[in-house]
Amino acid sequence: MDRELLIEIGSEEIPAGWLPDLTTQLARNLDALLKEFRLEADAATEGYSTPRRLTARVAKLAERQEDLEELVTGPPVSAAFAKTGEPTPAAAGFAKKYAVEVSALERHETPKGIYLAYRVRQRGKATVDVLADVLGRLLRGMSFPKQMRWDAFLDDGKGDLVFARPIRWLVLMYGGRVVPFMIRRSELAEGSNVQEIRSGSQTYGHRFLTTSGRAGRAIKIKTFEDYQARLLENFVILDRSERESRIRRELETHARKLGGRVSSIVAAESSLLKEVPDLVEYPAVVAGHYSVEFLELPQEVLTTTMIHHQHFFPVVDEEGKLKPAFLTVVNMQPEKPEVIARNAERVLAARLRDARFFWDEDRKTPLASRIDRLSTILFHKKLGTYREKADRVAALARWIATEALGQPPAVADQAELAGRLAKADLGTDMVRELTELQGTMGGIYAREEGQPEAVWKAIYYHYLPVGVEADAAPSKQQLGSAAITWTAVALADKLDSIAGMFAAGERPTGSRDPLGLRRQAQGVVKILADLPELAGLSMPVRVGPMLARAGEAFPAAAGTTVDRGPLLSFMSDRLVYLLEQRGYDVRSVRAVVHSGIEQVSPLEARMKLEALAHMSGSEALLGVAALLKRVKNITKGVTSTPAEWAGVQGRIVEPAERALWDQMNARAAGIRDAAAKGDYREAFAGIAALQPAVAKFFDDVLVMAEDEGLRQARLALVAALRDLIMDIADLSEIVTES
Amino acid sequence: MTFQDLILKLSAFWASNGCLLQQPLDLEVGAGTSHPETLFRVLGPKPWSVAYVQPSRRPDDGRFGQNPNRLFKHHQFQVILKPSPDEVQRIYLDSLEACGINPRQHDIRFEEDNWESPTLGAWGIGWQVLLDGLEITQFTYFQQVGGMDLSPISCEITYGLERIAMFLQRVDNVFDLEWGGGVKYGEVRLQEEIEQSKYAFGQVDMPAEEFAAVHRDLFDRNYSFAEKLLKSGLILPALEHCLKCSHLFNILDSSGSIGVTERTAYILRVRQLSVQIARGHVAQTDPAAVPAPGPGAL
Repeated sequence: MDRELLIEIGSEEIPAGWLPDLTTQLARNLDALLKEFRLEADAATEGYSTPRRLTARVAKLAERQEDLEELVTGPPVSAAFAKTGEPTPAAAGFAKKYAVEVSALERHETPKGIYLAYRVRQRGKATVDVLADVLGRLLRGMSFPKQMRWDAFLDDGKGDLVFARPIRWLVLMYGGRVVPFMIRRSELAEGSNVQEIRSGSQTYGHRFLTTSGRAGRAIKIKTFEDYQARLLENFVILDRSERESRIRRELETHARKLGGRVSSIVAAESSLLKEVPDLVEYPAVVAGHYSVEFLELPQEVLTTTMIHHQHFFPVVDEEGKLKPAFLTVVNMQPEKPEVIARNAERVLAARLRDARFFWDEDRKTPLASRIDRLSTILFHKKLGTYREKADRVAALARWIATEALGQPPAVADQAELAGRLAKADLGTDMVRELTELQGTMGGIYAREEGQPEAVWKAIYYHYLPVGVEADAAPSKQQLGSAAITWTAVALADKLDSIAGMFAAGERPTGSRDPLGLRRQAQGVVKILADLPELAGLSMPVRVGPMLARAGEAFPAAAGTTVDRGPLLSFMSDRLVYLLEQRGYDVRSVRAVVHSGIEQVSPLEARMKLEALAHMSGSEALLGVAALLKRVKNITKGVTSTPAEWAGVQGRIVEPAERALWDQMNARAAGIRDAAAKGDYREAFAGIAALQPAVAKFFDDVLVMAEDEGLRQARLALVAALRDLIMDIADLSEIVTES
Repeated sequence: MTFQDLILKLSAFWASNGCLLQQPLDLEVGAGTSHPETLFRVLGPKPWSVAYVQPSRRPDDGRFGQNPNRLFKHHQFQVILKPSPDEVQRIYLDSLEACGINPRQHDIRFEEDNWESPTLGAWGIGWQVLLDGLEITQFTYFQQVGGMDLSPISCEITYGLERIAMFLQRVDNVFDLEWGGGVKYGEVRLQEEIEQSKYAFGQVDMPAEEFAAVHRDLFDRNYSFAEKLLKSGLILPALEHCLKCSHLFNILDSSGSIGVTERTAYILRVRQLSVQIARGHVAQTDPAAVPAPGPGAL
C-alpha cells in the first residue's frame, strides 16, 4: 500500500533570494533519489518553502523498494572452458565473485557472441529502512550560493554537513510515522546548548504569533494536510503563491485607500515583488507617509531609497506621480499597525534627510570638475583609475559615433562629452550612498547643470541595457534626442570594460563572472542587433572593429596581453545567447553566425534569422541546404574566382550542369544585391529558387568525373554555388541530422 | 530607557546567560570584532562567551556633529558565544524583550547580510536584524579568521546601541538621546564629534602633505614594531600595534592622503600582518593547529 512521505527541514532564516531555487532543488533531487532507490511514487514531489523551512511531500510512495534484477555478463563462453570442458580461471573467478558454481551461470547471447552471465537478484527493502539514506543524500545534495559550516555532520563519513543556515529541526515522516534520522554535532561544539538534531513529528509555527500558548512552541503533526492546516493556525502560510497573492491583494487595497496605486517601477525595475513572499511567513501590509517636502528630490532617489534600501513599495497617483506615501510588507498580524508605520516612517525620513543633504551638496560641484577626483577611484589595478577610464570612454564614444555610426562632428562632440562625464557621479555622495543610482544620478546632475538631452540622457542610461530581450530598457522613446549619443556611450563603456578586462586576464570562467562581463557583452550585441529600433540607424555594425579599437587603449606594455581569439569567441557566445533567447532555432543561429563575430553584425544576424523564420516551411530552401552539406564536403579547398567561373562555361557538357550554370548566372547577382540591401527574404527566396537546378545537377551529374578538366570545371561550379550561399548563411546547419 | 540603562540591561541579560562581562579595548578600533576578546577567542577549540561595549571609530562617517544619524564614533554592544547555542536566535530575541521591545508589536526580521573583513582575513555568514525596517543588530556566524577555518563556530551579535536607544526613546537626532540622569548624548559627545571629524578630514593647522607624512610615518613605525613584537612571540602587543596601523590607515583614507593603488597596498599590508598575528596566537596554544599557508591566508 502506498503512503505519504513528508520531509521538513526547519532552518534559521534562509536568504530570500535563494528560496525559489532551493525549493526546486529539493523537489527535483528527491525525485531523482527516489528513482535511484527504486521507490515508486505516484506523482512528482511537491516542494514548499518559507524563510524557516524547506518542505517536500510525496503523496503516495510505495512501501517497499522494487526488487532489483540485473544481468551481469562475465567472460565469453569461448574463453570460459578448456578443451577438457573444465572451466577456465576466468570463468571460475567470475562464478566465485557471486558465490555460485560455474554450472549455475546463464548463457547470454549478444551481437558480439555468447557470454557467461549471472542474474543478480536483490529483494527490495522496506521503504522506512531506506528513507534515512534518502534524506542523508538529499541534504548532501543541496547546493547554495554561499554555504556555511555549523558544527554538524552526518554518519556517512563525508565530514561537515554544510547548509544555508543552521538546521534547527527535522520532520521525516512516512505513513504518519517518524523515520529515525540524525544530524550529529562536532565534538568541540556538542554540549547542553548544542545538540544533535533528530527527526520527529513536530514542526514550529510563526516566531511571534500564536492564538494560544507560547509563540514558537512545537506543534505535533500527522499528515501533510494536517501539517499545512496546523501551520496556518500558527500563522505560517506554507504555499508561496498564496503568500504572494495575499501580498498583492493587500497592497492593492491599501494603495486604493491612499488614493493611488503601487508604482509600476516596482515591477519594472526591481525584484521586490518576487522577493517579499520569501521574506515572510504570514504577510500583512502597513501603510506609511513621508513629508511632502521630500517630493522635491528626484523621484529616482525616492524610489531607490524606498525599494532597494527599505523594501518599501512607493505609491503613485492616477497620473503616475509619487504620493508622499509607501506600503511595507510585514511578517506580522500587527496589533497596532500604526506603531510599525510610525517606526518605518522614521527610518525612511532619516534616509531621505540624508539624501536631501547629498542632493544639495553634490550640486555645489559641477560634474566636469569631478572628473579629476575620479583618479582616487580604482577601476582595476592593471587598467588604472576611473579618471583614465573616462578618457578612454570619451575617445571611444567619439570614434564610434563618427566611424561606426557615421555621425557628424556635432553629434560626436556630444557623445565624447557624455562619455567623459559618464562616471563622474561615482564621486558624488548620493552614488556612494545609493550605488544603484550610478549613471542615473550623473544624468540627473548633468540635466540640472543644463546639459542638452543628447548628453544627459546618454549618461543617465549608459549602464543599460541589462537584458537581451527586444523590449529591454531603454526604449527609443525614453532616449528621445539622445538615441545616437547614448548608443555611442553605452557601447564605448562596455567595450572598454570587456577589452580591458580580457587584456588584464580577467575573463569570465564557468559560473565566475564577478565583473558582469557577460551581461556587458550582451548589452553590446543587444544594442547592435536592435540599432533600428533603438537609434533609428539601419547600418550593420560589426563588433570586431569596435573591439579592436577599444583594445588599442590597452597596450601590452602595461602588463596586459591582447589575445583576440578568446575575446572574439566570448563575444560570439553572447550573440548566440541573445539570438537563442529571442526564440530562434539553435541550428538557424549557427547558420547565420558561422563566419564569426568579426564578420557578422548582430543586426544582420537577426535579420537573416527573421527571414529564415519566415521561410521555415520552404521545402526548396531545405532542399538546397541539404545539398550544401555535400557541396561543402567535396569542395574542401576548392576556391571560386570570377576567372574560374568564366572558364567553367566552355568545359561543361551535361544539360543538368549547363542548366545550373544558367540558373546561377541568372540569379546570383539578384541574390547578392538583395543580401547587400539587407533584404534577406528576397535573397533566401533566390537561393530556394535554385533548388530544382541544384537537385537535377546532383541527380544527373557526377562531379568527380575522370576527366581532370571536366572535374575541375564541375568543382568550380559547385564551389561558386557554395560561396554564393555561404556569404549569406551556412544553410547546411539548418538541416536536421537524420 | 536611557542610553546607559540600555547598556546595563544588555550587560545584565548576557551575564545571566553565561557571558563574562569584559571591558572595551582601550584602543582606537572600528568595531568590536577587533577586540582580542573576539578576534583571538573565536580561534581554537576553547569555549568562550563574553559581552562588552566597544566604542567604534569610523573616521569616514564623521559628520562634524551635524548629521542626526552618523557619527565618527558610535557604540557597539558585542556578544560572542562559542560555540553558538542552538537557541541563539531565541536568546537574542529575549534580549530585545529585556530592553523593552515587545516582538509581538513590531516587525522583526532576519535578512541576509554576510560579513567580511579583508584586513582581518575573516568572514562570516549571517543577517542584519531589522526592527520595523531599522537595522539594529548584525548577527554573524564566523567561518574564518586570519584565513583559518574556525571550529567550533562562534556566533557574534553586534547591537548598534545608538540606534536602539533612538528607537526606544523615539528620538530622531542622536544628540538628543538621553544618556542618563537627564544628560543628553550631545552634552557628552558633541564636542568630541566635531573635533574628531575635523581631524579625520585633515582640517589641521599644517600642510596636507605634512599631515599625510606624519600618519604614514606613524603607520610604518607601528607596523615594523608590530613585526618585531610578533617575532618576539608577544602576540597581543603585536595585535595592538596592528590595530593602530588599521586606524592610521583609516585616517589616511578619510583625509584623502592616499591614492587608490596605494590604498590597496595598505589594506594588503594590514591583512598580511593580522593574518600572521592570528596564526601566531593559534600557534601559542597549539602549534599543530596552524594550517599551512593557503591561497586564502595572504
